[in-house]
Amino acid sequence: MDTLLTAEIVVNSPRFRRKSSTFVDAIHDLPEKADLAPAQLYSTESGRLFHSGRIVIITVGLPARGKTHTSVALARYLRWLGVKTRIFHLGDYRRATIPFGEDIPDDYFFVNGSASASSVLLRQKIVKRCREDIYQFLNDENGQIAIYDAVNPLASGRRSLANEFAKHDIETLFIESWCDDERIIEENVRRVKISSPDYVGWSSEDAVKHYLARITSRIPQFQTMEEKDLNYIKMMNAGERLIVNNRSFGYLSHRIVFYLLNLHIKDRHTYFVRAGVSLEADSYKADASLSDKGESYAQKMTECLVKHRESEKQAMIDRGETDYELKPLTVWTSTRRRTIETAKYLHETGYKVRQRSQLSQLNPGVCEKMSEKRIRQEYPDEVSKHELDPYHHRYPRAESYHDLAVRLEPIILELEREQNDLLIIAHESVLRVLYGYLMACNAADIPFLEFPRDEIIEIIPESYQNEARRIYIPDLPKEIIPGSPQDIKIPVPPSGLNTPLLAGIGSPKDGFSTPQSGLRTPREPERISQQHVEDVV
Amino acid sequence: MSSSGSVRRSNGSSRGYFASSDDTKICVVMVGLPARGKSLIAGKAMRYLAWVGIPARVFNVGSYRRHNTPQPNATFFDPHNSEGEKMRRAAAEAAMTDMIRWFNTSNGVVSILDATNSTKERRRWIYESCRDAGIEALFVESICDDEDLIMNNILEVKTTSPDYKGQDPEVAALDFRNRIRNYEKVYETIDDNEKQYTYVKLINVGSTVIINQIKDYLSSRLVYYIQNLHIKPRSIWLSRHGESEFNLSGKIGGDSNISERGEAYARALPGLLKKSGVPANTKIVIWTSTLKRTIQTARHLAAETRYEKLEWKALDELDSGVCDGLTYEQIAQKYPEDFAARDEDKYNYRYRGGESYRDVVIRLEPIIMELERSENIMIVTHQAVLRCIYAYFLNTPQEQSPWLEVPLHTLIKLTPRAYGTEEQRFKADIPAVSTWRAKGTSAKHQDYPTAVTA
Repeated sequence: MDTLLTAEIVVNSPRFRRKSSTFVDAIHDLPEKADLAPAQLYSTESGRLFHSGRIVIITVGLPARGKTHTSVALARYLRWLGVKTRIFHLGDYRRATIPFGEDIPDDYFFVNGSASASSVLLRQKIVKRCREDIYQFLNDENGQIAIYDAVNPLASGRRSLANEFAKHDIETLFIESWCDDERIIEENVRRVKISSPDYVGWSSEDAVKHYLARITSRIPQFQTMEEKDLNYIKMMNAGERLIVNNRSFGYLSHRIVFYLLNLHIKDRHTYFVRAGVSLEADSYKADASLSDKGESYAQKMTECLVKHRESEKQAMIDRGETDYELKPLTVWTSTRRRTIETAKYLHETGYKVRQRSQLSQLNPGVCEKMSEKRIRQEYPDEVSKHELDPYHHRYPRAESYHDLAVRLEPIILELEREQNDLLIIAHESVLRVLYGYLMACNAADIPFLEFPRDEIIEIIPESYQNEARRIYIPDLPKEIIPGSPQDIKIPVPPSGLNTPLLAGIGSPKDGFSTPQSGLRTPREPERISQQHVEDVV
Repeated sequence: MSSSGSVRRSNGSSRGYFASSDDTKICVVMVGLPARGKSLIAGKAMRYLAWVGIPARVFNVGSYRRHNTPQPNATFFDPHNSEGEKMRRAAAEAAMTDMIRWFNTSNGVVSILDATNSTKERRRWIYESCRDAGIEALFVESICDDEDLIMNNILEVKTTSPDYKGQDPEVAALDFRNRIRNYEKVYETIDDNEKQYTYVKLINVGSTVIINQIKDYLSSRLVYYIQNLHIKPRSIWLSRHGESEFNLSGKIGGDSNISERGEAYARALPGLLKKSGVPANTKIVIWTSTLKRTIQTARHLAAETRYEKLEWKALDELDSGVCDGLTYEQIAQKYPEDFAARDEDKYNYRYRGGESYRDVVIRLEPIIMELERSENIMIVTHQAVLRCIYAYFLNTPQEQSPWLEVPLHTLIKLTPRAYGTEEQRFKADIPAVSTWRAKGTSAKHQDYPTAVTA
């Protein structure tokens, strides 16, 4: 499906450009407003950060070692930091060059000398095309990091890539995904490689065996990185150990090591829910307990989540995975009472609940307990500034969304680190920023994302991109459902709109159960994982 | 952990899990032969943690041992000297006991156990002691086989150690070589038999790094920091911009030009730097902010020396929001509450629409990382930013750093040493207003008492 699409694009455009085929995760799209990155600390005139120069990150590793996963995760993080980053999957270029339906030559990956002349030529043509796009991105589009996602199995090939880029004054950093743990490899194959139509009707065990045998015959030679003259990071067994060969690491390369230290390739779902409504919903400082309605919400949310997970498990068993087990679920709340109390039933059921102070909501500053009307009266200048840039603007004494994103960075890394399924119970402002990271939203869109209380958001990682789903929580009283009122540009709209006092502040959407803002609002996921089957083998 | 179906409503109080907030405790265990930069890494990690606000403490086994044997000779460290071995073991145990007590009685988060910890047996004992006390052990091994680096370290640093106080440096260096040899006999590097430990192995000052089994975020952050360190001798020079037009009129913030006296300072800067002592063939990189007054201050220096120059947005002055362009008097008048609130907790006070010192520290973290990676750097920046950078190197407590006095037209030279940072100040003989304001005053910028030379 996607293969057809990309092939067409290539035919019709001078330069190959990928656009996400779903409206779910924007990690493969280039943001239109490049100057707006969620956690960018500062910018330079060139648009490149930290005087770090331009870097090509080159992946190394056999198929099913998690290369693409690492590339995508890294791009997500770098972009969030404000570094203009793009991924160039060599597989996309290969698919676009070799007509659809045709297979790549058997000797495509063979060492020069044992591969036929036509295969060598084909390979060179494909690599050249990809490299030209990388130069275009780095030289003419102010790109700072290009991620070149390919197998790169041989030391000689890697060295010539490094030389080639050095000629253009571009630094290289190799990231190898290395694995000798059969279980990890098989799990990877099972997860991302064998959902293709080729393997319909196969038992998963046979399919894995067949796939791995194909890799071995296609890529008979693989040399792990030992080149002391190149900058490289070797990730062993999904992050169990990292070997860093530092010839000339700059700020960003060190930062990448830091990020990779927290990354793993295990499949894990993340759920987002709002905290229940509290007794003094309009007060930030009060830190009030849940109201009765909030209590009841906490209970219904818990029941719905547990039921959903059980049905997921059943679905897997029905599909033949008879020994399928759910991952344990960990719950994170902020240190504010509302969120902790919303986790009460989960805690009592035996789930691990951890509090994180960084997950506290956006500080409303002087706007606390103020109606929109009063804010407009007292701070007309601030309101107009806010309307111009709701992401970066900060009301007096308040935090901006940007401040919040910077504060949440440690949470982002811990989120990557977590191995269990994870439920985050937090204020809508926090959910917006975290969702913005996972789904690569443009900063300008983040303040407008909506999380009505009657939905659990589930983020499902695929190796190529993340997908989001909304799970409906039934039987909630209408008045507690709406998201924070977006039409009013106050920084922290009170979290629960159940009190008559607040009704006037504007809940234009009162009564709507799922207001759709249209800005990267998750819809039904469209699965595209099979597109990678043909990627390498 | 249960993932089973039904949810029960219970009458238990929700207080129970208020206590379950995050409680990671980490013991950083240094591993390595003497003169491999262990104390330097330990000391720096300590300073970094304090600077970002994480409670941390170093437990130096040597200082426990020194208590009993103030000036041991090389035979003390001979592994066959069972008396010496017994005393070293006792010192390690005393340090461990104190450390566990510290974790239990204060809100300590990171301890650093500074010793050679050169045998597998010793490391297993540390690992198990930590595990039993609910502390995560993070081993940091520094390996170096570059003889020049090792000798450099001995001559420059070790002979100033308290062990050799008052002794002839030549004799001290010789004794130290012997001491290293004794350790080399029994030294065991961390290998695959210890792969269940969380460890970082730094080979030849981080040119190769092996990072194994990092289990939590804070450890990864520490590893990230340590990776940026090096032990090559170098200095960092700090200067504020020359006196600006805003300084003269007593206004804060803005982006004004430097005054005539500021220009005189800019012209004097190359000579002042020379006078502070720049080793031959030293390459210095000049960093400025993106504001005119720092760029103007550094321009003659850059032109005369041909040193490379970088402008950093992150070095811009603390953003004073609505107060930008006002004098302290005007601020006290227009925003009396803010003015008082700022004095009360200057570190955390955030100007309306602007920044606090805490905010500046957060935005400076990349600068600190970059400074650690770099060698000789000359930084021309602004008062608040300079205070934060200075506080990092000199380990100034948070509540004091916003009040530090860093006068105009003064060059500060910082030289990192194993046992702390050495500071020298060089005053240019060029008058300038004083922009220092004591707590509780709105003192106008005053004329600086005619300069004294260092």
